[in-house]
Amino acid sequence: MATTTEKIKVITEQAKMPPWYLKDLYRYLSAFGILTAIYMGFRIYQGAYGVSTGLDSTAPDFDVYWMRLFNFNVTFVTLFAGVSWGWLWFTRDKNLDKLEPKEEIRRYFTLTMFISVYTFAVYWAGSYFAEQDNSWHQVAIRDTPFTANHIIEFYFNFPMYIILGGCAWLYARTRLPLYAKGISLPLTLAVVGPFMILVSVGFNEWGHTFWFREEFFAAPIHYGFVIGVWFAHGVGGILLQGVTRLIELLDAQEDVA
Amino acid sequence: MSAKLSKPTFKPYTGEKARITRAYDYLILVLALFLFIGSFHLHFALTVGDWDFWVDWKDRQWWPLVTPLIGITFPAAVQAVLWSNFRLPLGATLCVACLSIGTWIARVFAYHYWNYFPINMVMPSTLLPSALVLDGILMLSNSLTVTAIFGGSAFALLFYPANWPIFGMFHLPVEAGNSQLTLADMFGFQYIRTGMPEYLRIIERGTLRTYGQIATPLSAFCSALLCTLMYTLWWHIGKWFATTRYLKRI
Repeated sequence: MATTTEKIKVITEQAKMPPWYLKDLYRYLSAFGILTAIYMGFRIYQGAYGVSTGLDSTAPDFDVYWMRLFNFNVTFVTLFAGVSWGWLWFTRDKNLDKLEPKEEIRRYFTLTMFISVYTFAVYWAGSYFAEQDNSWHQVAIRDTPFTANHIIEFYFNFPMYIILGGCAWLYARTRLPLYAKGISLPLTLAVVGPFMILVSVGFNEWGHTFWFREEFFAAPIHYGFVIGVWFAHGVGGILLQGVTRLIELLDAQEDVA
Repeated sequence: MSAKLSKPTFKPYTGEKARITRAYDYLILVLALFLFIGSFHLHFALTVGDWDFWVDWKDRQWWPLVTPLIGITFPAAVQAVLWSNFRLPLGATLCVACLSIGTWIARVFAYHYWNYFPINMVMPSTLLPSALVLDGILMLSNSLTVTAIFGGSAFALLFYPANWPIFGMFHLPVEAGNSQLTLADMFGFQYIRTGMPEYLRIIERGTLRTYGQIATPLSAFCSALLCTLMYTLWWHIGKWFATTRYLKRI
């Protein structure tokens, strides 16, 4: 049986990995890999220097090992926010009215990847390093707001997930027609609500400084964090918006084997 | 009988369209996994976390009251989206499984390996049996009211018996310093914490023992009542957040 040129083309397209709708798959996986390396690196650093240099904020070593890390974190997240948000804005699609349905489907996949990377950062900030805060403050006397875990949790992890949430919001706003025509309420809730967790750090630090030096997680000074994280349920609305539009787009497509 | 069943009006996707939807499902699964580990864990830790962190906080009065009450919140909200829109009867189990993953990772690497707390002292409780029953009742009844009353109650009532095999041994009495105390309390006295002082630890009060040694059932039934209300409240919170509205401006 002869293999025609057309058949070869079809076979080649079918075997192409990743498929067109997962064009950003490797970037997505790379983002997971980079974030994992960063967060695990932080944990290893804490294990190496937490007890030896992180217990007394007046010690010279504390400045070297922890305040330098604080300065680095604040500088890094500021630059990263500017670069990532700036890039998304300046490379925006100015011809959204002419967007092909297939390209719109692909962009919905990329938006889902952006939100997924955002939730991965939420995991490290809201789960692992948050509970570790309790663990560390059980054994370390809190003599500064910049403790060995706060420097990572409040000044890297929180800003990082906010930046990534902002990236998802900007990507949708600048590359998908429905999100460009109107502002998605659930996407905005899911990004702005957890952003308020960072703002709650102010109340937390003020409370711990003013009257509460111990660590006790069910205390009212932590309730601002709790209310902020409820807004993560906005993802349910994003899912419904995405699925509804994807069904419309797929129904309009020709069937392909 | 089968003639009365309505025929599905949609045509299942095949070929590339089926592959696209399946790939989207996988992306959502990864997204949901990290979302609920991060968000539910933070919500749980900052409201009832202390009871979950420490074995000497796991008393007979407050622990079975407050843990199911906060534990049913996210499951109800997620069920409201996944069951109502996708007929997926796994909202509660998904949330609670995510919570378990998050707590176990933190207890091992943040408590045990960094600060040397024994793992027995910081072992997390489980809500999995409660969540499975909650999902099962919603699936079988397809009713918010039935699930709130029977599922919410079961969620609370199952909590203590489900955890008893894990933590019962730490309630055994020991004698130390001329006092009788539990093994769990011994852990607390051996590993001094800033959260340890008795003016911080919310401990069991004697008044509930007026009716004899049934403090736990009283707390569990009180929690069952509150869980029926909490379930309904959080179902509607989940619905509200899952809006599909687009705004003109913010």
